[in-house]
Amino acid sequence: MARNKYDIDEVIEDKFDLNQLKRVFQYVKPYRGQLAIALFLMLSSSALTMLFPMFISEIMDTYIPEKNIRAIVVITILSLVIVLYTCVCIRFKIRITSRIGQAIVHQLRSDIFCHLQELPFSYYDDRPHGKIQVRVVNYVNSLSDLLSNGIINTITDMCNLIFILIFMFLLHVRLTLICLCGLPVLMGVIVFVKRRQRRAWQIQSNKQSNLTAYIAESINGIRVTQSFVRERENTSIFNYLSDSYRSAWMHAVKYNFIMWPCIDSISTVTTALIYVIGIGWISGGLYGVTVGILIAFTSYISRFWEPINTLASFYNSLLTAIAYLERIFETIDEPVNVKDSEEAVPMPPIKGSVAFQDVCFSYEDGVQILNKVSFTTNPGDTYAIVGPTGAGKSTIVNLISRFYNVDSGKILIDGTDISSVTLKSLRKQMGIMMQDSFIFSGTIMDNIRYGNLTATDEEVITAAKTVCAHDFIMEMENGYQTQVNERGSRLSAGQRQLISFARALLENPAILILDEATSSIDTETEILLQKGLNRLLEGRTSFIIAHRLSTIKNASRILYVDKGKILEAGTHEELLAQKGEYYKLFMSQYDFLVSKQN
Amino acid sequence: MTAMKWFYSFLKKHNRSMVLGLILVTVISILAIVKPMVSGAIVDDVITAGDYELLPKLIALLILITIVRGVLRFWSQVIFEACSQDVLYAMRDTVYRKLLQEDFNFYNKKRTGDLLSRQTGDMDAIRHFIAFVIYQVYENVFLFFFALIMIFTVSWKLALCMCVVLPFALLVTLSQTKSGRPRFQKIREQFSSLNTFVQENVSGNRVVKAFSKEDYEIGKFNKENDGYRDAELAAAEIWTKYVPQFEFLSNMLTVILMLVGSIMVIQDSMTLGNYVTINGYLWMLMNPLRQIGWRINDIQRFTTSVEKIYATYSEEPKVKHPKKAIPCHKLQGDIEFRNVSYSADDEDIIRNVSFQVKSGQTVGILGSTGSGKSTIMNLICRFYDVTDGEVLVDGQNVKDLDLYNLRQNIGMAMQDVFLFSDTVEGNIAYSRPDCPFEEVQKAAVMADADNFIHEMPDGYDTIVGERGVGLSGGQKQRISLARALLKEPSILILDDTTSAVDMETESYIQQQLNNIDHACTIFIVAYRISSIKDSDLILVLNNGEIVEQGTHEELLANNGYYATVFRHQYGEFEKYVDEITQNKMRGSENRGTK
Repeated sequence: MARNKYDIDEVIEDKFDLNQLKRVFQYVKPYRGQLAIALFLMLSSSALTMLFPMFISEIMDTYIPEKNIRAIVVITILSLVIVLYTCVCIRFKIRITSRIGQAIVHQLRSDIFCHLQELPFSYYDDRPHGKIQVRVVNYVNSLSDLLSNGIINTITDMCNLIFILIFMFLLHVRLTLICLCGLPVLMGVIVFVKRRQRRAWQIQSNKQSNLTAYIAESINGIRVTQSFVRERENTSIFNYLSDSYRSAWMHAVKYNFIMWPCIDSISTVTTALIYVIGIGWISGGLYGVTVGILIAFTSYISRFWEPINTLASFYNSLLTAIAYLERIFETIDEPVNVKDSEEAVPMPPIKGSVAFQDVCFSYEDGVQILNKVSFTTNPGDTYAIVGPTGAGKSTIVNLISRFYNVDSGKILIDGTDISSVTLKSLRKQMGIMMQDSFIFSGTIMDNIRYGNLTATDEEVITAAKTVCAHDFIMEMENGYQTQVNERGSRLSAGQRQLISFARALLENPAILILDEATSSIDTETEILLQKGLNRLLEGRTSFIIAHRLSTIKNASRILYVDKGKILEAGTHEELLAQKGEYYKLFMSQYDFLVSKQN
Repeated sequence: MTAMKWFYSFLKKHNRSMVLGLILVTVISILAIVKPMVSGAIVDDVITAGDYELLPKLIALLILITIVRGVLRFWSQVIFEACSQDVLYAMRDTVYRKLLQEDFNFYNKKRTGDLLSRQTGDMDAIRHFIAFVIYQVYENVFLFFFALIMIFTVSWKLALCMCVVLPFALLVTLSQTKSGRPRFQKIREQFSSLNTFVQENVSGNRVVKAFSKEDYEIGKFNKENDGYRDAELAAAEIWTKYVPQFEFLSNMLTVILMLVGSIMVIQDSMTLGNYVTINGYLWMLMNPLRQIGWRINDIQRFTTSVEKIYATYSEEPKVKHPKKAIPCHKLQGDIEFRNVSYSADDEDIIRNVSFQVKSGQTVGILGSTGSGKSTIMNLICRFYDVTDGEVLVDGQNVKDLDLYNLRQNIGMAMQDVFLFSDTVEGNIAYSRPDCPFEEVQKAAVMADADNFIHEMPDGYDTIVGERGVGLSGGQKQRISLARALLKEPSILILDDTTSAVDMETESYIQQQLNNIDHACTIFIVAYRISSIKDSDLILVLNNGEIVEQGTHEELLANNGYYATVFRHQYGEFEKYVDEITQNKMRGSENRGTK
């Protein structure tokens, strides 16, 4: 699938999938006991409040003419009791529904988040991050009311509807059937509108996703935007997206608004029909319709359409919600390619021998990145991987940590195929420092400790000292407790690298992978750092990707990679003697000195 | 209160539509009162009294009312919805523009998730308020007072008795408003915090996986998720407490009617007919009362969100476009720093930096990590304002120059390469989205990016992931360089732009830079001597101060920091000199024969 960007709509499901609803009910299921209680409270209180009209007609018809003040007082007290009961019921209903609603949302969010943790890099690489975010936060939020109140109200309304229908049938079958004539018309309207309405909400959710993605990216890329004076252009893109969102919203919401007038009209027309036919039957003396029956019947009709109306509004919000639910489930259903095999065992403590056996790998079909790469490392040695950009260096180290699965071939660590062990036990033993040093918002202490949560403050400081980060940290206003934020924007790139370096060291890894880890660190610091590292690296296998040859040449072995293959392997001296690609690379760094001299 | 004023400045523009909408709501409410009357007439006059002549007229009236009401209701809902969307659109636009103006200091302190929440969740509370709450409140108030007046005209004594509930309703309202406020603020804070957490988790997914901290992240997430739920539940407690109280007050009206009304009828101070009439109006009093609790909830959600948005909006950037800006469409590129100092958070970043560069010269900057190199670059672009001293471009203080013109003249490839999730072409042409493809490609060729771009699945149309994920560090740097070059800037700033590219590529890029065909002052911040050696001026920074400056030869002779770094990097150089020279000569012979 092609990558997505802010102005590309995500693919939308065409068919209405009932399974989505079934899945939602899986979330509701654990709470059915509580739902039942809430439902009981609601039904009992609504049944009791239905007594009020009876009380009043009783008062009017009997007690007032009788001037029976005592009976009136008794009824009043009875009503007061009912009112209090109703209030208690409502109180519990609200408490139960808000708890259930929040619990479901909580669960749903937790499920989508936990699943996201398992998804591979490619999932994150293929779409703007804002589009992932909007699913976890905004979409999920919009479901809470529907899944708690919505369900209870729906069931209450359905019960009401059934009760009323029973009363109506008991009262007069034929009139009831006439009244029901309105329903097929309503169904017709719903079926007619449904497809468009659903589509409209799906589009709306897409536009919302686009807009959120763009805002998120605008905030993250603000420095570039300001430096390239793109404010005007960005504002117009933003407004274009904002406008698409507005029109999609207006379009979708109109379908929702149509529902009420339709129901109202259908109900009025059927009521009118009942009047006409009823009066006709009365005057014709047909089917035992009397004035009393007709009057009673008309009062039921309005009660019959009331719950239908609320059901329809539930249906409206359901359709809106489905558009979000689809997106949420889509993420939860996203297959996890890199995962523990069923018989995966924990990786035993790593000694450090890594072997690639004919490893082939491609991110996309047809674009091969690694082609039959084989090599074996000795435990405790340092391996430098060099080669032109895009040669596959990062891919090799990413495969060691099994961030991707190989297409063919095998990767063994201490003779164990890494696909047969649990990911966690494997990655726990590796310290990986990536090109991108990501800093979480929090204190510097927390950021370093991310590598090993059980590390003491002293251990954190020792790690920071090893990577020469201690001094600059102490110079900041609160030392290790200084708050830094995401992307560590108040730290320089080199400082960020040092912090992530400390983080990787703190993990006390058996295998250390440094992917351009020191590119933004000055040479002086790097030399100090090397010294500290040499002590630390003893007995650990390490892989280093770097462009500064001073970093590389001390490695025990150098692998020269190009076009997905290892072309040369050996020590610095061996490779220089070979006068091959590495030799060329090494010499090229001096070119500029010579050209000046010539 | 200023937050509300600010909000009103947006709504004000839609006063007319809002008023029209409210008029429609009034008509709808009146029709809602009339409709049962017509039904009543059918029951009383037609069915009971047997006046069948009236039936067609009444039914026609009934259907007419229904249709009119349906149409008006649809219309009014669309009006309110459109108003809310328009207000939101304008508000988003205003806030977005403001965000674009905020300076780096602002972004250094703000979390992305917080800013994002202002534009998403908080905006939604405003939408709900304009589209729904306003007319709901209006409709309820209208019905309530209409019914109250009607009841007064029927029996002012009974009406007064019913008014007894009003002070209580007021008390409950006040109490709910007071206790609700902090909880809604808490919800907004938790929402932001959840948003921020998720955002960082998504952005930092590589680190999370590399450290296999999924469980830890899930643990932290659970805390946020719990926190948000608890905040929502704490707010729910408010309505759990107050909604039943309003329900009680509302039902008390029926009870009052039952007791007081009946006694009044028995004592002949009111007729039975009046009793029936008042009973008919009662729902118009009860429904609004019942809903007060929910509406307060809506309104508080709304006010908290407006305040949050406004708080972000009202933060003024320190770096401002000057009022009387000197326009500078094309700068020469002369730059001078005069005793420039900059400090942030009581920490001196650079101190007393002075240097002078002529148009077309190249300046190399070397220095230890965190020594203030990037800050100097940021001061030229005026991303920060100096604390002390002056930065002059073409002899003018940057503070007096047109801010946008200034930046337009500077091409900057930042240390922290940020690419947008857009096509490669879109990224390179970021400064000039309409520029022809040939120029994009030319810039890419200069940055040695053209080759690898062609190898990508869709070439220049390949979409790169957010922040350029999926590209190697060197590839990102080269795209970012091409992006800066496309601007044809008078001042080109390369902040550690070639740290992740190999030597050959770097020297190719340097040749290209030498061949730039317009006057261009170039700043190169680097750690590799090779990147800066040929510069006209090399500045060596340490701890925010310039400790050495001069040319490569001067600095080597100086035997200071620069010379030390040189020896570290190229100490073995002498060993290979002959070999390299031979290679070179062979290389040029080969090229000669071709």
